[in-house]
Amino acid sequence: MPEVNGLKMPAKASEKEMKNIHIDPVPDDQKVEVALQHLDEMRKKFRSFVMAMESCVKCGACAENCHTYLGTKDPNNIPTNRAELIRKIYKRYFTLEGRWFGKLVGAEDLTLDVLEQWYSYFYQCNECRRCAMSCPFGIDTCEVTFVGRQILHWLGMVPKLHANVGAAMEKAGNHTGLPKPSLIDTLEFLSEEIQEEFGVEVNFPVDKPDSDILYIPSSADFLLNPYTLMGAGMFFTYIGANWTIPSTVAEAGNFGLLFDQRFTQRHNVTRLLDASQKLGIKKIVWGECGHGWRAAKMYIPTLADRPVKWPIVHLHDETSYYVNTNQLKLDPGKNNHPTTLHDPCNYGRACGMTKQLRDVLSACVTDFREMTPNQEKNFCCGGGSAILFDDPEMYDLRIKFSAKKAEQVRATGVGANGDGYLCAPCSICKAQLYPMVEEHKLGVEVKGLIDLLGKALVWK
Amino acid sequence: MSYFILQILPYLTMVIFTFGLLYRLGRWAGSRIVHNITLSPFPQSNTQALGILGAELIFFRSLFNFDRPLWIGAWLMHIALFSVIGGHVVGIYFLGRQFVYLGMSASLSENMSAVLGTSMGLLMLAGLLYLLIRRFTIAKVKEVTGPSDYLHLVLLLTIVVIGNIMRLWEHDLGISYAPVKDYVTHLVMLQPVPMNHEVLTKPLFVLHLLFVQILLMIFPFSKLMHVFGMFAERWIINRVYKEPAPGLPNVDVAAARAAGAGLPSGDGAA
Repeated sequence: MPEVNGLKMPAKASEKEMKNIHIDPVPDDQKVEVALQHLDEMRKKFRSFVMAMESCVKCGACAENCHTYLGTKDPNNIPTNRAELIRKIYKRYFTLEGRWFGKLVGAEDLTLDVLEQWYSYFYQCNECRRCAMSCPFGIDTCEVTFVGRQILHWLGMVPKLHANVGAAMEKAGNHTGLPKPSLIDTLEFLSEEIQEEFGVEVNFPVDKPDSDILYIPSSADFLLNPYTLMGAGMFFTYIGANWTIPSTVAEAGNFGLLFDQRFTQRHNVTRLLDASQKLGIKKIVWGECGHGWRAAKMYIPTLADRPVKWPIVHLHDETSYYVNTNQLKLDPGKNNHPTTLHDPCNYGRACGMTKQLRDVLSACVTDFREMTPNQEKNFCCGGGSAILFDDPEMYDLRIKFSAKKAEQVRATGVGANGDGYLCAPCSICKAQLYPMVEEHKLGVEVKGLIDLLGKALVWK
Repeated sequence: MSYFILQILPYLTMVIFTFGLLYRLGRWAGSRIVHNITLSPFPQSNTQALGILGAELIFFRSLFNFDRPLWIGAWLMHIALFSVIGGHVVGIYFLGRQFVYLGMSASLSENMSAVLGTSMGLLMLAGLLYLLIRRFTIAKVKEVTGPSDYLHLVLLLTIVVIGNIMRLWEHDLGISYAPVKDYVTHLVMLQPVPMNHEVLTKPLFVLHLLFVQILLMIFPFSKLMHVFGMFAERWIINRVYKEPAPGLPNVDVAAARAAGAGLPSGDGAA
């Protein structure tokens, strides 16, 4: 399995799994031809992609700024070289210089081997966009990864993880495939937990008509990050909000952004708009999920095929507003641990949300220490774009991808006594960091931001 | 041969350069900005967006922040390049007397023009060598470098070296401004110069022009398009995004706290 021609790669979805996400895998003898057709389509459509193909000068500034290259030292993980995997094909078929001068300008024929290379390296990219920040021209290599993964999807080459999540999304409305009764069960259980631990009564309304606020949690919060959901519930109860969680789209994430920006991504958007209309919503509040927040904030306006009349904000746009206007009574003493903050890439670089996180965190903990670099210059956790594969080869890569993060956390010293907190307000960051803080022995516990706010609330 | 390079080729060069450029820019314009893919920093107004573009354009801000050693070579090389191009235009047009307009005497201006031209030429040579050596010696840069990347630098170096030789040994190998101005004037007016014109007798001048024309001809089909690419790319990622106003609908925190929201019944605030 996960090695073809010496390339590391996640297990691919089977033909049946691909059919679940409406793709008939293209037979090998037609793959090259079909891939070129799609590539031609994409280059005519996306300017961001054309620019990445046509204006890179290969200065190499992106190399040291990519944690996957720093962690693996694999030359194909240098952002411009990763883009070159498509660029060499693009040059060969779609530029004069490539057709006339071939090898001299690095043009190459497309073959099945190259497609396997695409699959391996575009699923080693975290789509964190740090290379775009460091690029003197602002070339967004993430757009190249997007195009690569989209074409691979149409060919039928998608990791099992992503394909199954896409199918679950369509079936249940969330990535973990939880049906409505399980959602309600879990939420009732969380209510009891809150009652026991914090002595307050918090109800999680599901599909409540005439709600003002639609809260979109990450479905991972139901299973892996219960304190994140509990924190959000406590916050909404504390401020007396008329809120609800939609059972039809209990998912802040959107894996469509990561492998299929057409049907899969739009499907989640359509569910959201349907739910908002049906429940009479006034404002949509997004839970802790990095790529999901980018997909929501930046892509819903262009993916919705009807007018979107609801403002969409992030939970921490709101919590920071209430913290900064002194409307919440918070006791940082309840989180008496050295704490550092990991800025999710999609918050900082893609959505401009960095100050809000600090405003909230410093009000909720006693000892907040910045890691360096931070905010929009932060390094990715190594799990970005959900490359959270468990096969041993890929897991080993995840450890390497998170090496830079481990170095940053260690430098803050928060884990020196083994009781540090690493606040990472994003489901994918959490899923990556839970095992990684153990692998790198960082002496910290991974926390969501709303988790800490929930704990710090003073109710009386 | 000299006659072909100086009298015929320039027109061919201009046609290839112009149409090549239009073709390339047309390809870019034909594709669209499909989704909002803005990137930090997030400007709040168009003026700020222009400020970001300016800082990148003039100071290479991102490079400065993320790769200082590269910034030193790249920035100096480009500053020298633009000074040299500007120097060619005004030097030839004003015959080296452009600084008279700043209050200098004619001879001082000519000296000034020569000193500035020489130093910028040498600076550019140093910058190009720095960038070339970097490609050979730093492992990560070597790994991203292809044959055409070296060839671009070699071509630029050839042009600059010839230019510098003509500058440094002006009386033996170089040429003065006057005949060049005369030549350019003829070229622009679509008039041939006489067969015994001085420019045709200076081999280094002819060679200098030949390589410049090769550069211009490959320009639209090469990574040199990054000059324009930068504007197109910044137009995509550095633009204004307006945030919705904060504050949740029908939420009154003070009232909720007064009513004891969340507190077990009978335990409400007084």
